[in-house]
Amino acid sequence: MSRLTSLLAPKTVARAHCDVPCGIYDPAQAVLAARTVARMVELIGQLDPASTSVEDRAKFVRCVNVKEQHAELVKHEVQVIWSDYFKPVHLEATPDLHTKVWNLLKLAGENKQHVDAALAARLEAAVKEFADIFWATKK
Amino acid sequence: MTTPGPDPSTPASPIPGDGGAPREADPGAPGPAVNLAPDVHRPPLSESIRGPWRIVVEEASMLPAIHPGDWLLVDPTVTRWPRRGSIVVFREPETGTLSIKRVAGRPGDWVPFEEGYLHLGPQEAWLLSDADEATTAANGFGAPLDSRRYGPVLLEHLVGRAWFRYGPAERFGLLPGRPRVR
Repeated sequence: MSRLTSLLAPKTVARAHCDVPCGIYDPAQAVLAARTVARMVELIGQLDPASTSVEDRAKFVRCVNVKEQHAELVKHEVQVIWSDYFKPVHLEATPDLHTKVWNLLKLAGENKQHVDAALAARLEAAVKEFADIFWATKK
Repeated sequence: MTTPGPDPSTPASPIPGDGGAPREADPGAPGPAVNLAPDVHRPPLSESIRGPWRIVVEEASMLPAIHPGDWLLVDPTVTRWPRRGSIVVFREPETGTLSIKRVAGRPGDWVPFEEGYLHLGPQEAWLLSDADEATTAANGFGAPLDSRRYGPVLLEHLVGRAWFRYGPAERFGLLPGRPRVR
């Protein structure tokens, strides 16, 4: 039977061609990364500035490192969704999407430069707004 | 090539799927002068007879008529674009990928495209998917790729007409016609 099947099986493949799978975009990673930036700013603020212990200095360096990595991650995640997922039709609902993304990316850059709780909160809010815009297109 | 609307001299319902007879069947009908001299871009029978005569389908853009994994018989000896609603195997422009779609517009037809209409040339066909984006997404694929993405397909890229499904056994038989009018 399997021999008959292999005899009958076509050797040529024709594709009922589709794009690469969709549904793989999710701003959750960006939201989490922005939260991490804010948390690291919080932890840095809790360190004793007068402390010279190796332990505290290592923790400080680690927090700064994680903060900058996650601010960069915010930029990457948002850029991918913005460039690959959003289409011209989505601009009808959110005409200022490009400006919002531009400001968000700059805000992420500023969070790399500074240790500022207000900046981190603004980044979190901007990413949340971006995520809301994304999910609104799925309704 | 895109125009704001169909030529007023063409019949009132020039869009694909209108159920009308192929235009060249009525040489006296009014309409744009289209060179329908057939076959100059098709390989000779000695070549096309090599096939493919059978194909297996991958991906989901022809659901519900054709499922991924279906085994189909193909007539590779066709010399012109078959009637609207037929399912054809062809090579996609630029990539050369062997693909399967349904004929939505034949040479000389006007087809809706973006904000206007597109007038197909004497060798061109407009090939569309049966499935919409929601259907392909539900099956784990992205948006269907067809003439809306890569434009009209030239006759020289036509490989054959798919006409019969011989596998799997439960769907054995002639391929179903057009699922809906676009």
